[in-house]
Amino acid sequence: MPSVQLNSHSENAEKKHIEHALLPFLQSQSQNTLTRLYQRPSSCLSLFRLLEPVERQIIMSLLWLESAIPQSTMNTWVNREGRKLYDEAIATLGRLNILPTNLTNKLALNTTFKMSFRQALTGGGTSGSFGVPAENDDKSPAQDLESLDSFALERWETILHYMVSSGTEQQPTKPSQGVLYLLQRSGLMSTFQGVLRITSAGFQFLLHSPHDQLWDLLLQYLHLAEERQMDLVEVLGFIFMLSTMELGKEYSTENLSGTQKAMLEDLRDYGLIWQRKPTSRRFSPTRLATTLTSASPPLPTSSGNSSGPQEGFIILETNYRVYAYTDNPLQTAVLNLFVSLKYRFPNLVVGSITRESVRKALANGITADQIISYLMSHAHPQMRKNNPLLPVTVQDQIRLWELERNRLKSQEGYLYTAFASQADYEFVLHYAKELDVVLWENASRRCFFGTLGGHANIKGFIERRAMGSNQ
Amino acid sequence: MDNSSHLSVVLDLSPAQWYQSPLSLDSFLAQLLVFLNAHIALKHDNSLAVFGALPDKSVMLYASSEPPMDTPATSDPNCYPPFKRLDSAVTARISEQLEDPLLDVTTPSAIVGALTKALCYINRLSVATGLVDPRILILSVSPDLSNAYIPIMNSIFSAQKLKVTIDAGQIYGPDTVFLQQAAHLTGGSYLHLTETSALLQYLIMTFLPPPSIRKVIAVPTQDKIDFRAACFCHKNIVDIGFVCSVCLSIFCQPTPVCSTCRTKFPIKTLQRLNASRPLTISSANNSARPTPVSTPRSAATAARHPPMSAESIQNGSGTSAVANGSGH
Repeated sequence: MPSVQLNSHSENAEKKHIEHALLPFLQSQSQNTLTRLYQRPSSCLSLFRLLEPVERQIIMSLLWLESAIPQSTMNTWVNREGRKLYDEAIATLGRLNILPTNLTNKLALNTTFKMSFRQALTGGGTSGSFGVPAENDDKSPAQDLESLDSFALERWETILHYMVSSGTEQQPTKPSQGVLYLLQRSGLMSTFQGVLRITSAGFQFLLHSPHDQLWDLLLQYLHLAEERQMDLVEVLGFIFMLSTMELGKEYSTENLSGTQKAMLEDLRDYGLIWQRKPTSRRFSPTRLATTLTSASPPLPTSSGNSSGPQEGFIILETNYRVYAYTDNPLQTAVLNLFVSLKYRFPNLVVGSITRESVRKALANGITADQIISYLMSHAHPQMRKNNPLLPVTVQDQIRLWELERNRLKSQEGYLYTAFASQADYEFVLHYAKELDVVLWENASRRCFFGTLGGHANIKGFIERRAMGSNQ
Repeated sequence: MDNSSHLSVVLDLSPAQWYQSPLSLDSFLAQLLVFLNAHIALKHDNSLAVFGALPDKSVMLYASSEPPMDTPATSDPNCYPPFKRLDSAVTARISEQLEDPLLDVTTPSAIVGALTKALCYINRLSVATGLVDPRILILSVSPDLSNAYIPIMNSIFSAQKLKVTIDAGQIYGPDTVFLQQAAHLTGGSYLHLTETSALLQYLIMTFLPPPSIRKVIAVPTQDKIDFRAACFCHKNIVDIGFVCSVCLSIFCQPTPVCSTCRTKFPIKTLQRLNASRPLTISSANNSARPTPVSTPRSAATAARHPPMSAESIQNGSGTSAVANGSGH
């Protein structure tokens, strides 16, 4: 049964562990940069939370040891089945310079990391890395959670909505210049005939979870910061600091460095922080910022809708019909990428998944797996009672539509024809087969097709043979 | 594997025991708070509850699902706010409880009460949010209380049903039989600390990893478990007991009528069991043994009655064998 195989395949893909997007970037940084980053307790705590569970336990086990312990001692704690996971974890920590590899056969944490992380757990010190709270001001009380949430949501959806409706006739609100530049630099949008248009990477980006989208953009921001000669440690430190801050509290900008003050403007555009005025000396992190290192949803449920995006709003039936309980223009626009929409009601959009609509999405660079995972992650609570979650017929059909596009495969090569005799043909063909360069053969017409790479050999072989027969 | 985990900690705060312990309560709490912070640090969504077992009562000291209202207005820029809240709430509640003038320091602490509260709390959370792999950690300094045997066993059974792992650490004093059994029966880890200088390291390596990590990085396990039970009649911990073949109640000596299910045992079985008892115990307990109250019955009725079986519980071997099979 193909359907069974497809399902088991997708389940395996989900279980496969996915490294956090930031870690490869950090691993590419110099030891010096990393050590400077680890000077701040808040950075250590946030980074720690991005690691895998086994890595976290290894750090914890080593944290309070004063001297290095032999690797063999630590190995005795590892179960045989967990050996591979453990070795991978040690290697990752080594690349992050948390477990320096300069000691032979001994394990000890990076001294800077150890000191800062201990300080993070026990409190104390004078680093102020968890954000200096602003003095209470009676004239302008702190923003309440609701307005912070709606601010973050509005900013974030403006960006996504701009992306999704670029290239159509709609004229959505433009995000700020900085955001547009970032979108362009990250390859999510590109200029096409003088107009910014979404790329296939951009389409794929739209179907990611908000959490992944946020980190994608921040990662691009970090790359950009490198080019702008901004101090990476300051930038990362500030992002990590935001992730440990409290929602609904105001923090003072006075202790921030010049780089970090410059970042305030960018982060405001992305909706990560809120400021009363651009010149204000205080700022509040939004939910987007405070959930950076957690699994809780970074965006509040959209207003005026009982079954918001976090709970899921899509019902997919076996007859390919899609009912989306939403009034959110962004969600409707994203659905429009792969669903042909039929009716719109105040709180409901009805459409169906057709061959044309899916092919349009595939042509935009979206894969079948992305469509299916989007439908899964946004499934309505009612759908969650089904097992499997999505109708198998629809899942299979979407995958089959994707396979349909891959019917033709082109390969460059040479066609060998006009052999003098059947013996000649078979002799050369045998040689080509030994080299494993034959792509197609037709014995009745005495011709075969070889790859580009094998041509030199076959040509030489035929020439040698021709010369041999002439003599 | 990377799910958020819930930890409920039951702290034994018996003042009398802490007074005798070489480790002071202050230094214990300081290390414990770092351990609790480490649990919160592992994952943003990790939840935590702390219960205190005081003489004759048990209280909830902290729960992350119900953060304390009286948070300090200005937060410390050098401290992660959730850690700060946890630490100040736990220390404030403990000193508030210990300064209670009505506290009778000699009464043993109500560990079972705290354990039961922890189980109820976990049950409530599981129903509401669906916890994965909840755990209870009991940190005890008191010796076994034999009259707590039955409630502890009942708690263990509820923990098994709720799929809660119970970890136990005996920080001071002799090994406790009951906590060992609790940890063993729920798949947890039991640690008897003989060395208190590195308490935090012990806590982190033994009790911090959630069950999913324990498949990769092992935690100390017991190679010897004391499976002895306490008898239902005198609450003594017994090496050889007598088990009612109907309801499995344990007695330290043969009784004619089971006190739990009121089953009557035939006089002949009683005589045989009494004869087979080790001499030392039978002679020592001879005077205390209650005299048979039942009047002699006819052989026909006696045959209907199930015989009582002797259960020999071998200390440390990890097996308990019923010597005589039940007769019905």
